[in-house]
Amino acid sequence: MSVVDSAPGVERQPFESLFTPLLSSAYGAAFRLVQNRADAEDLVQEAALQAFRAYHTFQPGTNFKAWFFRILTNCFISRYRRTKKERGDVALDDTQDLYLFRRTAEAGMHGPDANPAQALLGKLDEEQVAEALAALPGEYRAVATLYFIEDFSYEQIAEVLGCPIGTVRSRLHRARKMLQRALWQVAVDQGLVPRPAAPEVS
Amino acid sequence: MKSHRIDPLTCREAVARLDDYVDRELSEAEMGRVREHLETCEACAGHFRAEEQLLHQVREKVRRIAVPGGLMERIQKRLASG
Repeated sequence: MSVVDSAPGVERQPFESLFTPLLSSAYGAAFRLVQNRADAEDLVQEAALQAFRAYHTFQPGTNFKAWFFRILTNCFISRYRRTKKERGDVALDDTQDLYLFRRTAEAGMHGPDANPAQALLGKLDEEQVAEALAALPGEYRAVATLYFIEDFSYEQIAEVLGCPIGTVRSRLHRARKMLQRALWQVAVDQGLVPRPAAPEVS
Repeated sequence: MKSHRIDPLTCREAVARLDDYVDRELSEAEMGRVREHLETCEACAGHFRAEEQLLHQVREKVRRIAVPGGLMERIQKRLASG
């Protein structure tokens, strides 16, 4: 399966030697995007096949990870967003800044050593946090997945998604606020925090 | 390079830079302005700490995903078959 044709000046490595170290993070991102193991495996396999076929277009010496993740996210967008019902549980209206900080304060969860993150996240297991991430609409979930799982910079996310860095910044800003709201909602639904008596603030 | 005196940030201006600050996506000058504000405003410093801790904990929890056994072998087989 090796592709070893050389580009002038830079030796082209076999596809497998660049792809194998990415498998774990690629599968992790795919799983958070599609939310089940079978679809995640299909997505990674499809992306790997497309990347392998297009490997002659990859410029040796440039960022293979960003190149591969661009293919992976394009596969997700083209294959899944059209066929799977978007959950989009989180409202797209503006959520106030510091949403969780305010909600945990209102719920009396700030002790003398106030750590609102620990107060809430300590109550949620991995699946419940993943459920909150999965509640984001697709384009926001894609940005958040690249940000939280891969630690990509804004510039790298822009390269992967093929959009301006300003778009990444604004989507990520909204995604983080929506995620805070979704985390709180999961905690309320699970009975882990007091259910609000008053109508929810936006 | 000459340094110019810049007005200190208000709390609203600091919070507006929160995401970019915790992601180190501001210019050095802007990072400095936010740091100056946080040194003098305990309320904003608490908000920023909480945000950083939240991001850290979300990262910790969403990253733990085991790769299915044999996935690499299945991919290799698929690539070999074209």
